[in-house]
Amino acid sequence: MFVSLFALALGACGGGGGGESSPATPQIPAPPPSPDPPSGEIDISLAEGARFLRQASFGPAEGDVVSLQTTGYEGWIDNQINAPASSQLQHLAALPLPENGAEGRRNRLEAFFKYALENDDQLRQRMAFALSEIMVVSDQGALANRAGGLASYYDMLSEHAFGNFRDLIGAVTLHPAMGVYLSMLGNEKPDAARNIRPDENYARESLQLFTIGTVELNLDGTPRLDSAGQLIPTYDQTIIEGFAHVYTGWTFGGSVRFNRPSRDYLVPMQAFSSFHDTSEKKLLNGVVIPAGQTPEQDLTDALDNIFAHQNVAPFISRRLIQRFISANPSPSYVERVATVFNDNGFGVRGDLGAVIKAILLDVEARTPVAGGIGGKLVEPLLRLVSLWRAFDASAPNGRYIYPQPNNDFGQAPLRSPSVFNFFSPDYAPAGELSDQGLVSPEMQITNETTTASVNDYLALSIYIRNSNATTLGNQAIRIDIAPYLALSGDPEVLLQRMAEKLTGGVISSELEAEALAMINTIPQDQPAFRVTEAIHQIVSSVEYALIE
Amino acid sequence: MINRRRFLNISGRTMLGAGLASLLPRQLVAADNSFSDYKCLVNIFLYGGNDSFNLVVPTSNAEYNVYAASRQNLAVEQLDLLAINPDNSDGATYGFHPSAGALQSLFEAGDAAVIANVGPLVAPVTKEQYLSGAASLPPQLFSHNDQQAQWQSLKGDASLATGWAGRIADQLAAETADQLLALNTSTFGTNLFQAGAVSIPYSVSTTGANTYGAFGAEAALGAERRAAFESHIDSEFGNVHARALAAVHKRSLASADLVNQALAQAPDLATVFPASFLGAQLNIIARLIAVRDRFEMCRQIFFVGAGGFDTHDDQNELQPGLLSDVADSIQAFQLAMVELGVNDDVVSFTHSDFGRTLTSNGDGTDHGWGGHQIVTGGPVNGRQIYGQMPILEIGGDDDATGGRIIPTTSVDQYAGTLAEWFGVDTSALDIIAPSLSNFTTSNLGFV
Repeated sequence: MFVSLFALALGACGGGGGGESSPATPQIPAPPPSPDPPSGEIDISLAEGARFLRQASFGPAEGDVVSLQTTGYEGWIDNQINAPASSQLQHLAALPLPENGAEGRRNRLEAFFKYALENDDQLRQRMAFALSEIMVVSDQGALANRAGGLASYYDMLSEHAFGNFRDLIGAVTLHPAMGVYLSMLGNEKPDAARNIRPDENYARESLQLFTIGTVELNLDGTPRLDSAGQLIPTYDQTIIEGFAHVYTGWTFGGSVRFNRPSRDYLVPMQAFSSFHDTSEKKLLNGVVIPAGQTPEQDLTDALDNIFAHQNVAPFISRRLIQRFISANPSPSYVERVATVFNDNGFGVRGDLGAVIKAILLDVEARTPVAGGIGGKLVEPLLRLVSLWRAFDASAPNGRYIYPQPNNDFGQAPLRSPSVFNFFSPDYAPAGELSDQGLVSPEMQITNETTTASVNDYLALSIYIRNSNATTLGNQAIRIDIAPYLALSGDPEVLLQRMAEKLTGGVISSELEAEALAMINTIPQDQPAFRVTEAIHQIVSSVEYALIE
Repeated sequence: MINRRRFLNISGRTMLGAGLASLLPRQLVAADNSFSDYKCLVNIFLYGGNDSFNLVVPTSNAEYNVYAASRQNLAVEQLDLLAINPDNSDGATYGFHPSAGALQSLFEAGDAAVIANVGPLVAPVTKEQYLSGAASLPPQLFSHNDQQAQWQSLKGDASLATGWAGRIADQLAAETADQLLALNTSTFGTNLFQAGAVSIPYSVSTTGANTYGAFGAEAALGAERRAAFESHIDSEFGNVHARALAAVHKRSLASADLVNQALAQAPDLATVFPASFLGAQLNIIARLIAVRDRFEMCRQIFFVGAGGFDTHDDQNELQPGLLSDVADSIQAFQLAMVELGVNDDVVSFTHSDFGRTLTSNGDGTDHGWGGHQIVTGGPVNGRQIYGQMPILEIGGDDDATGGRIIPTTSVDQYAGTLAEWFGVDTSALDIIAPSLSNFTTSNLGFV
């Protein structure tokens, strides 16, 4: 873990001192060995530890596996759950630039990269990233100039990452960024004379994409079928209309008038009763809420109604498993996690900390699945971030300036083209995967165009932007290869060391042979070329893009 | 997405021996092209659900008044509508949205047609059948991704993992076996429309094929590195996701240099495309069409996309920009086809998730069902409205509920007509459009 150059400005998120003059970033001492390791803790190999950290963090940085070997998986997760949350909003506030426009968008992404690379709340930030791809808002569209509002939304996801799902959907629903994105903000009660009825946008998408989905599910995530063998819809148009009527009367918090709102993106929305529909409303599972309630009562009842739905546990469990572990979790894996969602062991439903722990500690997560169908592709952008973490990447100006990762990787935090995210949890490319009834969500942003641009940016980040380069600009984020130059005389040792850093030493014999042949092509008096070649051979490989 | 060219990223224009074409994947079927002509379809998908009831609007008083009563504050002013004079008439008169002047010109010149009130259907549906629940319907009406999948796959109430252009490519595999590029090309990334059971679509960016800079001639050891990578992606990967990724790498490497080399030879077009993403996509397609002979292409289907049509909010502010982009981009594309001398070979057509509610939510509209689509190009029997214009009355005979209009023409008919023009044998049309036989008219006659 590295000390932030912005540590003092950031307060809660950083480590100790540090400063721009330090030639090498000082290390925080590794935590002392636990005097009383949890009983039953198993020894964690380098390969197992690196695999876990590739799943649960933004990738192992130097020393991370050793720390994990000390705490054990469960101790590591507990530490992560207790670690304070990094705040993107604090990052924006510490910068002199305005939060709107291109600078704002750039600075918001900088916060993402900075925390992924520097900060300790790795699992929380991974969870926020996962949730940001489920409960989607985006700077493509009406929120383009609302970096502050989007940072606040991301912080809200971080804050609730290990909290209760009911609180999360409450905060998501009332966040003004979501209010604007899915047009619940400003949504009014019907006006029959003008053929105006409530906006159905948030009502529909929050049910379909955030909480229960379109068809009834079993606890194991498989669809329930009726007696005729047909799928059972979770809602119909009248239920969408019921929720649309619930979500009337809300605008920006701190507003004096509904139609002249505050435009404050940092506080939850507030309701104006006179713009709220007070009729009776039909919700899920036959529930009807009575006429005459306040906006707040209606909202509480409606979100309770969603939260109580039997689909929530398998729906969310499967999506989170897909973001961390496996594109195609077995039904029993989904059921084990969904069972924890429904009861964390202490009678609490919706405990996301317990859910992520169940996901990461499950036997199907810790042991690669046989049969060649397990695991998942690493999201393209996270391949870059894990490269940067492994090699302590930074820029001389202390910034992380990379404004358009979507151009290269087909994705960027809170920059989806629509509420349907960059890829669907059910996406299956035609051919083998589709034929076997398997999905591979990340393949939806994997085509002839993106494989080239991803590979190209990774190559740029290795061969060109490294610590040996002398002609880079101050803001070029570069990997640190200095510690490994001395290994270049022995290609086998070099390659093994690079593999240890990136994958815990796991490398196929075929890739090893190809990589060694390439390294040996490079004259011994070009150590930096040899080191970067070794890194590129691994990072550009198909196997590095997969965590099985 | 705009692709930046970086210094690592060398242009395909500088190199490429003639032997590379032999590396391209080919169909195993050995046959000469059976088509002696060239035909091309361009699907312009308007993501989010275009509010086409404001694109084509009745102008005759009686019909306009019904529209205006339904639409209220979202109605386009009667005097602002751009009148069209279709050769066929249903008694009413119509006009385009004031931002779609380019479409008005194309329509009046006979180069564009309107397909009225088209949408996903399994079979014809009456309002009574819809309300009683007796009708067979595509599942999850009003849901974006489900209805996008309906338009692109025509799966109806069945399960189908291929798109209708993908199935066309499968059907025409033998006749197009000598083509050096995939029949299906997308500028909008992965899509269901072009997914085939056998055929595999190809993806380009708006600047051409993206290349792997580290494998280029300008990178030190680029050729050696490329060879090592090609050996790597030829490995027998034990994991299904790894095999899927490796296959894309192979296709990307196999075609990129050839595509860029050909594009470098493309003639400069005098036509100026709009500076939008849609304009840029249609521009690169025009350039690919210009160099089609270098790939021995006789049949091509392109897929482009535009977003932002989900106008729940601020519709009156957003719609002019959305519609002018569509209209101006389509017009530029058509001019480019004329310039390239292929206007009689190319048909572009719109798709969208759904039409939108006639009712308003205050400042926008919600997810509907049927809507109008636009077909353009030399082969189009233009200046006509095909199908039946709906009654735009809340609670009227065409209103399912809440101003969601029941389609009277199915996407299967729309697609089947295009597929038949494209050269799919009539006996195979039900493979392309599985519900086609449930409708009395299998060819709408617009092309």
